[in-house]
Amino acid sequence: MNSAVVPNIAIASAIPAKTVSLRLDECRKGAQVRIVDLQPQALFGSQDECVTLRLKELGFLPGAPLKIIGFGLLGSDPLAVQVNGTKFALRRAEAAKIRVELISGSH
Amino acid sequence: MSIRFALIGNPNCGKTSLFNRLTGARAKVANYPGVTVERRSGPISDLAEPAELLDLPGTYSLFVTSPDEQVARDIILGKIAGETKPDVLIAVIDATNLRLGLRLVMELKTLNRPMILALNQMDAARSRGITINTAGLAREIGMPVIETVAVNRHGTDELRKVLAEFAVNHAKNPLADDTQTLSLNQIDELSRDDSIEALYHQIENIMQEHVVQPVDLPRWQERLDSVVMHPVLGLVVLFTILMVVFQAVFAWASPVVDLIDAGFTFLGDAVSTGMPDGILKDFIVQGLIAGLGSVIVFLPQIVILFFFILVLEDTGYLTRAAFLLDRPMRGLGISGRSFIPLLSSFACAVPGIMSTRSISDPRERFITIMIAPLMTCSARLPVYALIIAAFIPEQTVWGIFNLQGLTLFALYFAGVVSAAIVALIMRRNQTREHYPLLLELPSYRWPMAYHLLMGLKERVWIFLRRVGTIILALSIILWVLVTFPGAPADATRPAIEYSFAGQLGALMQYLFAPLGFSWQMCIALIPAMAAREVAVSALATVYAVGGDNVDAALGTALGQEWNLPVALAYLAWFVYAPQCISTIAVVKRETNSAKATVWFTLYLFALAYFAAWATYTIASWLV
Repeated sequence: MNSAVVPNIAIASAIPAKTVSLRLDECRKGAQVRIVDLQPQALFGSQDECVTLRLKELGFLPGAPLKIIGFGLLGSDPLAVQVNGTKFALRRAEAAKIRVELISGSH
Repeated sequence: MSIRFALIGNPNCGKTSLFNRLTGARAKVANYPGVTVERRSGPISDLAEPAELLDLPGTYSLFVTSPDEQVARDIILGKIAGETKPDVLIAVIDATNLRLGLRLVMELKTLNRPMILALNQMDAARSRGITINTAGLAREIGMPVIETVAVNRHGTDELRKVLAEFAVNHAKNPLADDTQTLSLNQIDELSRDDSIEALYHQIENIMQEHVVQPVDLPRWQERLDSVVMHPVLGLVVLFTILMVVFQAVFAWASPVVDLIDAGFTFLGDAVSTGMPDGILKDFIVQGLIAGLGSVIVFLPQIVILFFFILVLEDTGYLTRAAFLLDRPMRGLGISGRSFIPLLSSFACAVPGIMSTRSISDPRERFITIMIAPLMTCSARLPVYALIIAAFIPEQTVWGIFNLQGLTLFALYFAGVVSAAIVALIMRRNQTREHYPLLLELPSYRWPMAYHLLMGLKERVWIFLRRVGTIILALSIILWVLVTFPGAPADATRPAIEYSFAGQLGALMQYLFAPLGFSWQMCIALIPAMAAREVAVSALATVYAVGGDNVDAALGTALGQEWNLPVALAYLAWFVYAPQCISTIAVVKRETNSAKATVWFTLYLFALAYFAAWATYTIASWLV
């Protein structure tokens, strides 16, 4: 019985290794990514849930493809991204909430 | 009661241009340009039944995150006192940005109000290769769907037809529940989360079924953004644009300014020679023509400044500037979102302060309100222009710049730097709660001539109305103050020193002597509280007593009466104060706090006093 369980675990942990997910603020300019999910962000405090929902309303939904257009001057902040054909400016704090997986481009 | 329509949609969907088209010249537009934050309404033109149209602030969602979104929501729900809720909602969608717009439409649909969907900017959508099956879409979402092109004169004809039908039906059987307020279903956040996904799922199906659109935005848009939003090139572009604007305000306007000036001089001369001497002639020439003429002369500069702000806003450039400046501004406790209110404040602080309603962070909003009047408003321009023309030689420096233009730029710059310092000081006691930026960067668009003209017309009209009311009244009062009581028969000094104005000025001079201000300058500060530009006509009235020329003569008079340190100190004073009464009133209304308003007034007064004193002292020492 035990020997049957162990390989299953090995397979399960191998899946996330293939489709590496990272935070949007770790991506490079020009990268094409797909949104995996939205994570809580301590910086927003009690606002955090509202920020998540607003992001979703604007189209930052799991599964949505997203392109990184550019960065601001200081500390690569804010980020400009395109999602569903609409461009948005996000700060690193918002971007860090968004977990993505790479479609093309490096991170 | 006539039917009431309301335009609702995302920011940047072209609601206001649609509003301008539908209401045309008959629109009773609110006082302020640019961002639609205040109530704009007007009768819809060319309808058989009377119908009223309301333009609501742009919003993404009924779950609001900023004060202006809240205004839009509360009006729709009928929650604002004295404002019955609109009978029919006209949801406006930018056809090149369908998903985002449709989401709001689907959310609005849950309110079960009569609705019409306007697919705006259909021309841009078509040229991008987007095709929309409007009949299918209408069937799917259960409301009339009409394509509109606000750029074309006839682009709204079809919408007008549909509105006419609604108006006729409404006249036959008006709805009974007009005063009832609606409420959003008490959706807790968990189910709101689910409903967002469900709505987008629905939208995806609609898009699949009825819309064909290319994946990428047009190439030229991408290329433009790669320059304009480039961290270094973008800033170069931004500062170039700002420099061009300020140079244009000074250089392009001058031929028209000279023409208007010559016109008033001619008028003054004609009246002088054509009328018998006496108090009436004195009143007309000195009080009216000189007083009003000296202010109207600055209309061209104000028009040019507003023209640039409207163009930059219409093209979608301003949000790129906000993107570039977000990080630097955050160091001051404000953000890219404060950029548009602050830029509007260069035209006038009142609409600037009102447009801070789009800022979600209350603390940031407060700081922006406090520093907005440090952005040099167009009413200060007449004062600057007069003094610069009189004291700064017209010469070219570094080959391309005009010294007068540079001085003007320096004054604007002083205001901006001071604003940064004040913001920094205020940031010290800021709570460390973060608010998101989440700023949409709309597609670039050619500015629309009709929309620009409407915006400019609005500004010119407001300015001329001020000239005809406040400035006219103040000119008359001033004339009375400088004319009465007349000098005694054995007077040895100029008559004006015996007048009320002379006495008042002498009193104020005790306070202002350390700044080098003469009593004439003190008098001019009083009406400047009502409207800053009146300082010019006040100076004209005070100094032109005995002369019959308007602006050139005033410049010459100042050149003789003041020395350079005094002139510079007066300029420094106007960088900070006197705060005009309408600004103080709008600060009171927007902060809703007497304490904040008093603090605001005192800090600006103190800053003005100190700056003028320091300028006077240093300049006297240098000259």
